[in-house]
Amino acid sequence: MKLGLVELRRKPLRFAIAGSSLVLLSVLLLFLGGLLDGLFIGSTGLLRSQPGELVVYSSDAKDSLIRSRIDPEVRAKVEAVPGVSATGGIGVALVGGQLPDKTDLVNLSVTAFQLPVSSMPSDVSLAPDQALADRSLQAFGVDVGDTLLVGSAKTPITVTGWVSDTDYLQQGGFFVQPDTWREVLADSRPDSNLPPDTFQGLTVKLDSGADATTVADAIDAATGGATSTLTKSEAVQALPGIKEQNSTFSAIIYVTLFVAGLVVALFFALLTLERIGLYSVLKAIGASSRQIFGGVVIQAVIVALVSFVIGGVLMWLLTLVLPAEIPVAMEPARAVQIAVGLVVMSALGAAVSLRRVVRVDPASAIG
Amino acid sequence: MLAGKEIRRAKLRFGLLSGAVGLLVFLILFQQALLGSLLLSFTGALENQSGTVLVFSEEARKNVSGSVILPPEQAQIAAVEGVGSSAGLAEGTFTIEAKGTDVDASIFGFQPGGPGEPTRLVEGRLPTTPTEAVASKEDASDGFGLGDTVTSVDGGITLTIVGLTERSRFSVAPTLWVTFDGYTALRKASNPDATAVLPSVIALTPAPGVSASQLAASVNEQVDGVQALTRSQAVNEAPGVSSVNTSFQLILVLAFLVVAVVIGFFFLILTVQKQSTLTVLRAVGAPTSYLVKALLKQIFLVVGVGLVVGILLTLGAVKGASAGLPISLEPTTMVVTAVGVVLLSLVGSLFTLLRVGRIDPADVMNRQNAGGLA
Repeated sequence: MKLGLVELRRKPLRFAIAGSSLVLLSVLLLFLGGLLDGLFIGSTGLLRSQPGELVVYSSDAKDSLIRSRIDPEVRAKVEAVPGVSATGGIGVALVGGQLPDKTDLVNLSVTAFQLPVSSMPSDVSLAPDQALADRSLQAFGVDVGDTLLVGSAKTPITVTGWVSDTDYLQQGGFFVQPDTWREVLADSRPDSNLPPDTFQGLTVKLDSGADATTVADAIDAATGGATSTLTKSEAVQALPGIKEQNSTFSAIIYVTLFVAGLVVALFFALLTLERIGLYSVLKAIGASSRQIFGGVVIQAVIVALVSFVIGGVLMWLLTLVLPAEIPVAMEPARAVQIAVGLVVMSALGAAVSLRRVVRVDPASAIG
Repeated sequence: MLAGKEIRRAKLRFGLLSGAVGLLVFLILFQQALLGSLLLSFTGALENQSGTVLVFSEEARKNVSGSVILPPEQAQIAAVEGVGSSAGLAEGTFTIEAKGTDVDASIFGFQPGGPGEPTRLVEGRLPTTPTEAVASKEDASDGFGLGDTVTSVDGGITLTIVGLTERSRFSVAPTLWVTFDGYTALRKASNPDATAVLPSVIALTPAPGVSASQLAASVNEQVDGVQALTRSQAVNEAPGVSSVNTSFQLILVLAFLVVAVVIGFFFLILTVQKQSTLTVLRAVGAPTSYLVKALLKQIFLVVGVGLVVGILLTLGAVKGASAGLPISLEPTTMVVTAVGVVLLSLVGSLFTLLRVGRIDPADVMNRQNAGGLA
């Protein structure tokens, strides 16, 4: 095993071939993973940040916030269900907003809220012409104090603070008072106009100890089937494209990891072939197959780890030059998953040489 | 002959390389198929409607779903010089019950006879009454076939499918085309509080002698608060399309690079390992062309097997993955990818080919085991 480490230290360039391929594959894997996370985060932030454990839609909306409407009568029935501690109306209007002195528009998810989301102070209070913007909008030039002209009616709304991880369907979270949201909705989409006190959905907080699934079923029963109540994670998965996106990108990531394993297997098969003579000498002086094979595997693991680090740096540099429209997010959990995948596949790839190492005959060292 | 014999004797090595190339080809092809189908399912409806210019509200940022054209703007657009004909085109997402299942569907409301009509009708006819619709052929088996009836869940309006389009989906969802009156009825039924049902965009056709780009420029110049785009601009610049395109291009470039690097380095290591043998071959009279040809044969064989594996895997995956998104692989994509992989493999192996070409037969005299001085 030590011999393997010494060789790596003294002849690092010998491993540059496998390393360079793994660096490229690491960049590819990190980009794919970053894109998957970026798409997920940018689409689901609003739902994930809700303070309640449940989300209530009208049953005919097919769990789409934009098409849902919950009127005060339905809400009263929801609030009367045992286990419900509080409800908050939510609504969104996906519109453009114009920055001061700029012609470019930014995509906003103008969001009405009654219960503060996770990144807001609990005593948050906004005037009708004020908003809290998601930090993702900073990349598009939005700053605290800016007055954006929002929607078709170019309603002036001033950013007074930040929230984080609240984007919805790739549009930047922009939290306003319910009446301001209704005004923007009516001006920008007259066909989606909603009367006072009617919201698109509800976030439902539960009494401590209440079971979320049981309360969800009780809500739908109490409203006579007028609602579709989902847990927060179910609501996230119900968003259009989330499941398909996840399965497609994951499949591509797994195939790429498999390719990484094949590349490592190929490289170490060649390397082992080159060292057959050396291995027979080592065996002749007492080295076991286990020791030799351990050295090969440790080399593969170190090459994979170093390649991953270089790939990570390259990916980070890439994110600096990528346009803000490409939703790439570097999440630590994803990086760890890819690093572990790469190391495991490399170790498995190196294991392909095991048979050849075991079959080396020490006697062949003397001809 | 030498090339084939070597491969037969080292099946594992060449098998691993062909397998790696095959999987990389699969990744490249599958992602291209996915990209093509995704883009077509995103914007096919815009590409295959009869308006050659589409006018969006400026704040919609080229997003049909976020655009609304107010009545004063409609009048101003229609009055722009160079407009041949104009008509409102509305789009919205509705919950539709088809074959007993609720699905999200995009519904376009167009003015019959005006710009904005679907152009890729493959079966049946266009709708003439508010309760008739044209659906996407791709969704025919899901309850959107000719003669089927579907119901708008939020409002209870029933639509009869009287025609089928191809390549005309929108937002990766089943897409229906109804008359503007039909669309208005659907909207009002789903939201009784709607104050008005307005077109999302205005579809235009230019007057004779005026090009689409000239007309778009005139509208942008003369009407405030709107953004006119030619049909191809509306397709290529639709939100998400350019970022999806850029992301996938980057992934494809990386995958192609990996192919070149893996093949190039594999044959380089192999050549370095065989250097002394190749020198002996040269010394006993084998011309350089013989060795180069043997190497090229191996490269083509490995890449050829990799391509076959990759194409077969892709065809299988395309067949299996067509449930959510109708993915298809165009023959031209396969040919272009195959040519690209072969060329990149040759580029990757260039250094190895040059090394083989530069082998000096006289070096055999330096071999210690041949009595040389090393």
